[in-house]
Amino acid sequence: MHRRSFGLVLACLCVGQVTLQAQDFSLFDRKVQIHGFASQGFVYTNTNNWLTMNTSQGSAAFTDFGFSVSTNVTDKLRVGAQVYDHNIGNLGEWHPILDWAYADYRFKPWLSFRGGKVMTVIGLYNDTQDFEFLNAFALLPQSVYPIDMHDANIAHEGGDLYGDIPLGRRSGTLSYTVYGGERRDSYYGGYPYALRETAAPVNLTSNGGPQYGADLRWNTPLRGLLAGISRVNQHDEGKGTFVPFWDPAAGKIPYWEHTKQYWLNQYYGRYSKGSLHLDSEYRRTYINVVDFNGTSTGHVDVRGWYVSGSYRVAKRLQLGSYYSHYTMTTHYGGILGMAFPPRVDMSLPENHIYDKVVSARIDLNRFWNVKLEGHFMDGYGDGPYPDGFYPGDNPAGFKPNTNALVVRTGLNF
Amino acid sequence: MKKQRLLPLVAAGLMVFASVNALAGDVKVIANSSVKVDTISAAELKRVFLEERISLGDGTHVEPVLEKDGPVHEAFLQEYLGISEDDLHMYYRALVFTGRGFTPKVLGSDAEVVAYVARTRGAIGYTSSAASAEGVKTLTIGVPSRTAERKLITRVEPDYPGAPKRLNIGGTVRLRVSISANGNVANVELLGGNPILGESAAAAVKQWVYTAGRSRTIAEVSLLFDGQR
Repeated sequence: MHRRSFGLVLACLCVGQVTLQAQDFSLFDRKVQIHGFASQGFVYTNTNNWLTMNTSQGSAAFTDFGFSVSTNVTDKLRVGAQVYDHNIGNLGEWHPILDWAYADYRFKPWLSFRGGKVMTVIGLYNDTQDFEFLNAFALLPQSVYPIDMHDANIAHEGGDLYGDIPLGRRSGTLSYTVYGGERRDSYYGGYPYALRETAAPVNLTSNGGPQYGADLRWNTPLRGLLAGISRVNQHDEGKGTFVPFWDPAAGKIPYWEHTKQYWLNQYYGRYSKGSLHLDSEYRRTYINVVDFNGTSTGHVDVRGWYVSGSYRVAKRLQLGSYYSHYTMTTHYGGILGMAFPPRVDMSLPENHIYDKVVSARIDLNRFWNVKLEGHFMDGYGDGPYPDGFYPGDNPAGFKPNTNALVVRTGLNF
Repeated sequence: MKKQRLLPLVAAGLMVFASVNALAGDVKVIANSSVKVDTISAAELKRVFLEERISLGDGTHVEPVLEKDGPVHEAFLQEYLGISEDDLHMYYRALVFTGRGFTPKVLGSDAEVVAYVARTRGAIGYTSSAASAEGVKTLTIGVPSRTAERKLITRVEPDYPGAPKRLNIGGTVRLRVSISANGNVANVELLGGNPILGESAAAAVKQWVYTAGRSRTIAEVSLLFDGQR
C-alpha cells in the first residue's frame, strides 16, 4: 500500500511539474484554467493509532490529490469542477469524489448565485481544508476540522446566494452566504467507519439529507481583522445493515437511523498583519439521533475550539503553533442506553482531546512545501463522533496521551 | 566593535526601506480603453485585484493583470492591496481551488503589461510611472463620486500640428488636468507622449469646462492623435 501511495504521489508530482507551464489555454475564445495539487504525509505516534492509520508503527498511508478545471462562459457566468481523491488510513480508500462542480453567476457584487455541488462555507477553513498548501500546518486543528468528517462536511448539492455589502468607509464590509441543498456522506468517511468499528457494528451504506445554513463574516475597518459566524442545520437519514447486538440469532438485518436534531454553530476570528497570522474558532455540533431501527436514541454534544498563530520568519520558513481543545458528551436512550452509560465527565481522556502543536513549514519554491509538525495530545475521545481515535484501530485499548510527528509535503500548480 | 559592524547593515537596511518607499509612489494604474471610468477609488481597485468585483459601478467588466515579482509589483502590493506577495499567491490559490476565481495573468515587464492591457477588454494592470502608456489609459486613484460630479460640458478638440501630421507622427498624449471648483481648467501638465502633440493637446484642454464642484479636482486625460488619418 505504501509503495502504491508513493507511486501515485510521484506521478502527480511529475504531472504537476510538466503542466506548470500549461495550466491556461483558450477554448472558443475563453480562458480555461487547469490546476492541481497533491500531498503525501507520514505520521508516527508513540502510543495510540491515530486517524485510522497504523501510526504507532509509522504510516505513510496519507495521500491526497485533486484537479480542477474552470472557465468563464461569460463575464458574469463561471463554471468549473474539481475531482478529489484521498487515502488516509481507512478513509477515502482511493475512491474519488467530486469536490465541487458548479455554475456561478454574479448579478451584482452584493448578490450572486452558485449552484451544483458547492463547497460548504463554514468558518475560516471548511471549504479550503483540502488544500494543505494554504495553511501553515500539516493538519488543521482536529477539534474544529476533523479529517474524518471531511467527506461529510466539504460540500452540498444545491445552491448558494452570496455577496458583499460595504458598510461604509469606517465600518468595513459584510460578506454573506446563504445556502440550501442536500448532503451526501461518502461510505469511506469517518462516520460510517466509526459505526463499523463500534461494539455494535453497523454497515452504513448510505447517509445524508437536506441541509441549509448561512455564514456571515465581517471584514472590520481594522485592517487584517475578520470576524464571523456560521450556522448549519442538517437532517440525516442513514441506511445499511447490522446484526442486532441484543439478538445476534436474527443475523444481518436492514438498519436505519435518522436525526431529530442536527445543527452546528461556529464563531471565528482572524487577524493578519504582515507575516503574522492569528486565528481562533469555536465550533459546537449537536446531534440528536434515533438509531438502531428506532430502538435507541443518542444525544451527542461536541465542542471544539482552537487558537493558532503563525509567523513567516524567512521567505521560505514559516513557524506556527496552535492549541486545539475538544470535548464530547454523549447520552444514550433505549436499548443502547441500557448497554452504555452516559459520558459526561469531560475530564476523562475518553471524552476529550487537548492537542498542543508546533509546526514548521518550509517552502522549497512557490509550488512545493514540506511541513514538520509535533502534536502532544492529552486524551483520545473515542466517542461515537469521529475524532481520529477508534477502538478498532487500537484493539489493545487506549493510552491516555499520544505524541505524534507529522511530516507532510505538498505540491500545487 | 559590534556597533561598528552593525552600522553599515543598518544603513543598508534603511536604504532598501527608503528605495521601496520611493517606488511606492511611482506606480501607475492602467486600463484597457473599454474601461469607461478615468478614476477609481483605492478600495475599488483592491476589490478588483482580489476578484471581489468583476465589474465596476458603471457595469464595465474588469480583469486584473499582475506584473511578476519585482519592485513595481512589491510597490503596488504595498500601496494598494496591503498584503504580501505570499499571501496574495495563497489568496488566488484559494479562489482557484474553491472555484471562486482565477489566477490573473502575470506578465514579465512593464511593456508586456501595457501590451496585454491594450489588447484585452476590461484589463486593469499597473506599471512603473516611467513606463509608456501607449494604447492604454491611466487611471487616477481617487474618490470616484467627486469625479462623477465633474462632468465635461465643453470640449475643444486639439489641432493636429502641421509637421507631425505631414510625417504621420501620432500617438497618445497623457495630461494631468487640474480643474478648479468653478469648472474651469486651472492647470495642465504633460505626463507622457510627443511634446509637440502635447503642447497642442494642452492648449485645447485648457479651454475645456467641467461642471462645478465643491473643490479643486485632479484628473488624467488621454488624447489620441491618429497619424494614419
